[in-house]
Amino acid sequence: MEMATRQIVAFGGGGFSMESGNPLLDDYVLGLTRAERPRVCFLPSASGDADHYIVRFYRAFSAHRCEPSHISLFRREQGPSDLRRHLLSQDLIYVGGGSVVSLLGVWRAHGIDSILREAWESGVVLCGLSAGSLCWFEEAVTGFHGEPKRLRGLGLLPFSNCVHYERGAKRGEAYHGFLREGMCGGYAAEDGAALHFTGAELSRVIASRPQARGYRLDVTGSRVVEMQIATTYLGDREAVPAAPLPEALSTAPAV
Amino acid sequence: MAVDGVRARTATPVRRILALGGHDFSFRPPDRAVCELLLRLAGERGGERPRICILPTASGDTSDQIAGFYSAFGERSCETSDVSLFRLGRRPMELRDHLLAQDLIYVGGGSMLNLLAVWEAHDIASILSLAWRQGVVLAGQSAGAMCWFEAGITKSSGRPLAAAGLGLLGGSLCVHYNNEPERRAAYLDAVGDGMPSGYGLDDYAGLLWEGEGSPSAVTARRGARAYRVSRREGDVAESPLPARFLPAPAPAALREDIAEFRRIKTMRKRAGWLG
Repeated sequence: MEMATRQIVAFGGGGFSMESGNPLLDDYVLGLTRAERPRVCFLPSASGDADHYIVRFYRAFSAHRCEPSHISLFRREQGPSDLRRHLLSQDLIYVGGGSVVSLLGVWRAHGIDSILREAWESGVVLCGLSAGSLCWFEEAVTGFHGEPKRLRGLGLLPFSNCVHYERGAKRGEAYHGFLREGMCGGYAAEDGAALHFTGAELSRVIASRPQARGYRLDVTGSRVVEMQIATTYLGDREAVPAAPLPEALSTAPAV
Repeated sequence: MAVDGVRARTATPVRRILALGGHDFSFRPPDRAVCELLLRLAGERGGERPRICILPTASGDTSDQIAGFYSAFGERSCETSDVSLFRLGRRPMELRDHLLAQDLIYVGGGSMLNLLAVWEAHDIASILSLAWRQGVVLAGQSAGAMCWFEAGITKSSGRPLAAAGLGLLGGSLCVHYNNEPERRAAYLDAVGDGMPSGYGLDDYAGLLWEGEGSPSAVTARRGARAYRVSRREGDVAESPLPARFLPAPAPAALREDIAEFRRIKTMRKRAGWLG
């Protein structure tokens, strides 16, 4: 049996939610679907299904380039009645930002967590920013509310993740601390950078801003090793597609 | 700690929950009557400026619900706030301290399933239970009413289905009893199939638990009723409960006119113009 390609694109921050007028990351994930008119479903659960956010999604993913839809778990009476069927029929599932704690709670209540795993395994491209990035990983650093906290995600990717990894941000320091305390190794991404995983392997880091970067973080003994990952800026017309990563950055999960 | 007379806690505070079948924060008379009751309950604990907080979780923290709450209570004599769990990023707060400092916590309607899931994720349930035991009045409508019971009938997944609540109150509750026949039918079936007995609440009917024992029913609209729903000899029986009518206070503008009129009347009386 042929295994579908499992793909996740985890944005550190960016896309229509954060970079209005810069469609590079959104175009990239649409391109991954290889569909002429991809079916794209937006999951705004982390925002509490905020109306203004849903409207912005439909503006960015307009019907002339894709077949957009969304699922509001707070207004189930309005959306598709069979969530599983709807999600499994998509080419791309796009998860919005907000509270990752609330996101995971609501998803579990509606059984979305297991449907998303199924969708991923059947080749639906999964992506998202911020909370919509953290959710795919084994562990995550959330700084949404108060001090950065450590939490468990869906675990599709056997790594840890930290988003909005800007220089000098509080969560960077917290992430290093968590790694020393035994959090599994993983990846961080700055706003505008996105981690593209094929299966459980990082295939490349892409960016919608020339300076945005992704990072690999590992622990050796009690030392945290942070490495910047070669990043492809998507706005550069001469960008070499799919630049291979150096061996040192390949993604064997830290045990 | 220095406490004034009203805020001083007795050894065992009275546990109070007000469950409402459905209402809005509009300025129509029945809605004003409900808000007046909420304000009175809060005031019985908190004095002249009680603290009232809305948890709009079940709606996904919609600005509509939050704005409705502030428009109903913002101008009244109380300290209002909202705990929006989806918006904490923009406005961090100490959830536990904030909730325990309230006199009344009001839970808005929406998805009961999501409400309980998000509360569990943020560990809110234990705080609310503690607040209740400390005498903070818990109140809410629709999902925000059913959440306090062992079970309710929710349309969180589209069609009406039984769902478990926090269980602070024994038994079950079904809201919008008069307005949503399919919800009522699902409730009667569920109770027939072994869901704990409980209550049905029409929109604008409410049940108030104060301490141990049975609740008292209130109604803010003529004809809106509270029902006791129980299994009896293999059948499910609904019996309406006698309810106290909550009169609507005059709207604020009218209240001022009335006060003005009374002042003039008094002046005239003093001047001997009116008998």
